[in-house]
Amino acid sequence: MVCPERRRKMKKERIKDIFKDWRVLTLIVLLILSVVAINPHFDDKGNFTTNLQYGLDLQQGAWLQLEFQAEVVGFTTTQPLDTFVSDLSKSLDTEVIVVDENHLEIRKYYTQEQLEPYFKAAGGEIVSYQQGVSKDTASTVKLILEQKINSMGTKDAKVNTLTGMNNVARYVRVEMAGVDMNQAQQIVGKQGKFEIRVQTTGNQTEHVLYGDSITSVQTPSKDTSGNWGVGFTLSDAGAAAFRESAIKYGATVDPEHHQLAMILDNKTVYSAPLSSGLASSLVSEPTRNMVASTGTGTYGMQQATTLEIHLRAGALPVDVKVAGSGSTSASLGSHYMTMCVIAGILALITVAFVIFYRYREPRIVLPMVLINASEILILLGFCSAIKFQMDLPTIAGLIAVLGTGIDQLVILTDEILHEGIVPSPNVYLKRLARALVIIVTAAATVLIAMLPLALMDLSTLKGFAIITMMGVLVGVIITRPAYGKIIMEILSE
Amino acid sequence: MGLFSYNIEKYSPKQLVIIPTILLVISLVVIAFVTVTIGMPVKPGIDFSGGTAVTVITPDSPDQIRAVFADYPLVSISEGLNNGKFITFGAMDDAKYQSLTALISGKYPDARIDQVGESFGKTLQDQAFIAIILAFIGMAIVVFISFRTFIPSVAVVLSAFADMVMTAAMMNIVGIPLSLGTTAALLMLIGYSVDSDILLTTRVLKRQGKLNDKLAGAFHTGIIMTTTTLAAISVLFIVSWLGQIQIVMEIAAVLLIGLVFDIMNTWLTNVGILKWYVLKGGGK
Repeated sequence: MVCPERRRKMKKERIKDIFKDWRVLTLIVLLILSVVAINPHFDDKGNFTTNLQYGLDLQQGAWLQLEFQAEVVGFTTTQPLDTFVSDLSKSLDTEVIVVDENHLEIRKYYTQEQLEPYFKAAGGEIVSYQQGVSKDTASTVKLILEQKINSMGTKDAKVNTLTGMNNVARYVRVEMAGVDMNQAQQIVGKQGKFEIRVQTTGNQTEHVLYGDSITSVQTPSKDTSGNWGVGFTLSDAGAAAFRESAIKYGATVDPEHHQLAMILDNKTVYSAPLSSGLASSLVSEPTRNMVASTGTGTYGMQQATTLEIHLRAGALPVDVKVAGSGSTSASLGSHYMTMCVIAGILALITVAFVIFYRYREPRIVLPMVLINASEILILLGFCSAIKFQMDLPTIAGLIAVLGTGIDQLVILTDEILHEGIVPSPNVYLKRLARALVIIVTAAATVLIAMLPLALMDLSTLKGFAIITMMGVLVGVIITRPAYGKIIMEILSE
Repeated sequence: MGLFSYNIEKYSPKQLVIIPTILLVISLVVIAFVTVTIGMPVKPGIDFSGGTAVTVITPDSPDQIRAVFADYPLVSISEGLNNGKFITFGAMDDAKYQSLTALISGKYPDARIDQVGESFGKTLQDQAFIAIILAFIGMAIVVFISFRTFIPSVAVVLSAFADMVMTAAMMNIVGIPLSLGTTAALLMLIGYSVDSDILLTTRVLKRQGKLNDKLAGAFHTGIIMTTTTLAAISVLFIVSWLGQIQIVMEIAAVLLIGLVFDIMNTWLTNVGILKWYVLKGGGK
């Protein structure tokens, strides 16, 4: 017989033992780190807030996925590369860019069948075909879009190019918080195409350069004589093309009759002669920095502001088409958020009831539910730490994790408490190991099943897959071993 | 667990697998029929076929909504509680879509819009198909590696296969479209379904004791696992249905259907094959 006093002391020590175990300690440290990462606090206005980031279906915002109307083609040719490319460019009536020695980027949409005769005519052959643009072009587009969205004053925007195999990007995805679909479309959906042309004779013009030759655009400024203007910089190739065209078509000799026009979406947004200074300096060498003057006073300033946007906004080198889009209003977003919180808490409570119904033992049910809740907490902490944007599928994934988590705790408990008898430590460890084998096998199948989704760009499902996999890992590595230790100490008295 | 008693002992392997076999055949027929009719095993939602979905909370009746969108290719309107409406449109070009979003911004500023273009939908569909196939193969490999015996592994893989096929057939019958969300649910189901199968197989093959005791023990644990999961997913389903969160509701519905089939396929199909394997002398 053990006297009550001694028993109490033993129990106290056992609980102390739990907190000395490294598995339990790891869990506690992670829980603390998670709370720090989530950082629940009240903001300046006294509203409760956390560090969790929400996707566009849980807050107001819109996203657009744009498809590049261009293709990257693998080729072989018997012709010299330069001739081949310029022939193709002429016959296809678009820019053809050399990506590497075996690949060309064609900046206009053609199917492979449509392209084949052109390639044959130019003395080459198509080896591979993929819709999209090269990695370089994709990152240029990303930069341009970012610049453009920022200049529109949209506060929270993200632009991502989705680069697939072979470094070809087919899509670019734009996410903007705080706007509705219509505004988003106005900002990015319709892309302008910018071009500078030079007047040849009468109303005829010739192509000089496209917007992608403009490397930077300055904000409007006023010169000493009160003239407003927008400065911009050309790339070396752009500057050379500019000089060549200006000389070839007589803009340097007779600026008034050979004006330079800026065209956005086939509309002339600006047209002016070369200044006499620039005209004479171009004859001797190319110039990279230029200023487009727009006149004096308020009118000049307004014109300069518009031109700046045109210069920036028009600079997309490739046409795009809306492939997919979505938006959520502020009220629906917060409605979804409330529903998700309710669903999560109710699910946890329901699980607790079912478990209680089965075991009728608070000493088992309580740790089980707490471990389950702590898995969710750690996952949320992880999301905060890596600034992962939680969306609806992610939350469904979290609740699914809650479901698998409890499954595994049941396996553990049943293996250990075989026929309701708490075993001796040796037998206990053997049984724990046995249970872990089942759990690890089951976890491995979930990891494998989710891996393809996590690696693919299946839009919203990536988040779901990553959260599920993380949940499985956290469970197998951290929370379930800790649960094994806790349940052993609690029950083995 | 006193919910219901099920005595695996009583039935022969043949008796155990008869019901699931019939259901599997029916399911395969349903899927074959749907595949022949529309070219896909499950009717695709707008994520894959292309189109636009609008979620809005409005007291307007479906007829009023139809009138508002008379100029657009409206496909269906489904109603939830609390005035929630889920409206789908067929494919349209960029200009038409832009005028639709302008109309929605004006008329229903609180709407949620999801739109997928046809070619993008096709890309997603191909990738989703690959994802499911890869996930299934990956699962099978893990199962074979961990049991290293042919028939028990086949039993587990077959049960998971039956789960997915029956769930897919049921999706056709109750009208849940295959979308990104339900694809995720089907993949999740692979994970859930092997959970209890692995428990069962491990208990039977790697433990000492009488077969019937081991089966009863595994059932005891397995059924509580599945019922807790069912409980959690039911809550998710009810809340998302009340709150009209379409994507979550579809995920939850598919998981619910799948878990019910999983109970059957684990405790009839898998048990049946495993019992037959052990009785004829396999697994010592």
